[in-house]
Amino acid sequence: MTVNFSVKKWSGWLDLSQSVSGVMLAVFLWTHLVLVSSILLGADAMSWVARTMELSFLSADGHGYPWVVTLIAIAIAVLASIHVLVALQKLPMSLAQQKALRLQMQTINHGDTRLWRWQAITGVIILLLLPVHLWLIGSAPETIGPYGSADRIWNQGVWLVYLPLLFTVELHAAIGIYRVALKWGAARDLNTRERMKKIKTVVSVIFILIGVASLLAFLPYAN
Amino acid sequence: MTQGRTLTFNIFRYDPQEANDKPKMVQYQIAETPGMTVFIALNKLREEQDTSLQFDFVCRAGICGSCAMVINGFPTLACRTLTAKYPKGEITLMPLPGFELIGDLSVNTGKFMRELAERLQLWLHPKSDDIDVHRLEDPMDPEEAARLYELERCVECGVCVSACATKQMRDTFVGAVGMMKIARFEMDSRDGRTAEDFYHVIGNQDGVFGCMTLLGCQDNCPKDLPHMQQIAYLRRKMAMTLV
Repeated sequence: MTVNFSVKKWSGWLDLSQSVSGVMLAVFLWTHLVLVSSILLGADAMSWVARTMELSFLSADGHGYPWVVTLIAIAIAVLASIHVLVALQKLPMSLAQQKALRLQMQTINHGDTRLWRWQAITGVIILLLLPVHLWLIGSAPETIGPYGSADRIWNQGVWLVYLPLLFTVELHAAIGIYRVALKWGAARDLNTRERMKKIKTVVSVIFILIGVASLLAFLPYAN
Repeated sequence: MTQGRTLTFNIFRYDPQEANDKPKMVQYQIAETPGMTVFIALNKLREEQDTSLQFDFVCRAGICGSCAMVINGFPTLACRTLTAKYPKGEITLMPLPGFELIGDLSVNTGKFMRELAERLQLWLHPKSDDIDVHRLEDPMDPEEAARLYELERCVECGVCVSACATKQMRDTFVGAVGMMKIARFEMDSRDGRTAEDFYHVIGNQDGVFGCMTLLGCQDNCPKDLPHMQQIAYLRRKMAMTLV
């Protein structure tokens, strides 16, 4: 078996890397939100999660290495960049394409096409908000914790970034996973597709609720 | 019974051949009859009210694929759409987007299909170049024949092309009909083309890797062809040529 990277195979690699990077980002996103939601269990729980993510169990003084978080932020930035570069090729970039899309959607009533348009719109918003989030976290990893994060979110006004980011990213990821599953043939029949569509909606709603609850749970620690 | 209702049709009218004509919606009213289809209603309208109304039809039985149009926002065959389906009795008809307009509801799907067939070489490429007409064809496994027949049911109505936002945004995209037909020959044991040969025609962003899986094709195909599964199958097949 040899891997073929010749020029004529690029569109295949691009399509594949869009799907793979998307799935990886979605898995990271959901794991990340579950970890952050440890604040719902109290300050101690979140401190423990933050310490463990900094690999505190490997350091003698138990403080861990905050730069591990910076590395993760850089890795996510790289993955997201790949995802954006490939996905941009599918978006209607020219006015003519946007007009054609508008006309088609006005003439033809189709739910999944509207879902995709939401994915495209949320994708553009994420493209603007995610770098802010990654920079804030990656440049000050040592501040992550119940008090540091609460200060950032509520006293420094970063909730203005996090709240819209939460909504858009949870819609984008769930729709994306649904479409990637259909794209590669995970749904053998239309009933399975219907079920997947319902699950996708439930996943979006659950994670948005967890996210909003977590943001609010930081409030008592901010002052 | 729906007899006795008066139906209101809003029909897109435009004749590109007439120099001063402008696209407009024209309203017609017609008495509904039992078992009326949009196709029957259109014929009655043309016969009784407006002889200049242009639309296509041949078989009136969902086999020729000529009468595809957008009916109340859904692209489908007029001959298979009962007017009784619309409780309000209001029906808006638009020509299929994405095709050259001949006039009113009539579009040139034939030109598109022919160009597509030539571009993708949608015909059997026999394994051997043996042109002896007396040679017996190899027998085909009945299951394989049934699978091919399932895909052969395509009537080239153009609905999947119109329902595909990707195709509307990117004119050179092959659409579901092209991929369906490619999949049909890919599965045919008599066809000599390899995965690499098929990659050459659809392994690009105008082919399977440009498909965004919006599934307008799957959701509107009047023949209920398995577009979702076929496109996914082709995508996996083409991705397998990467390694």
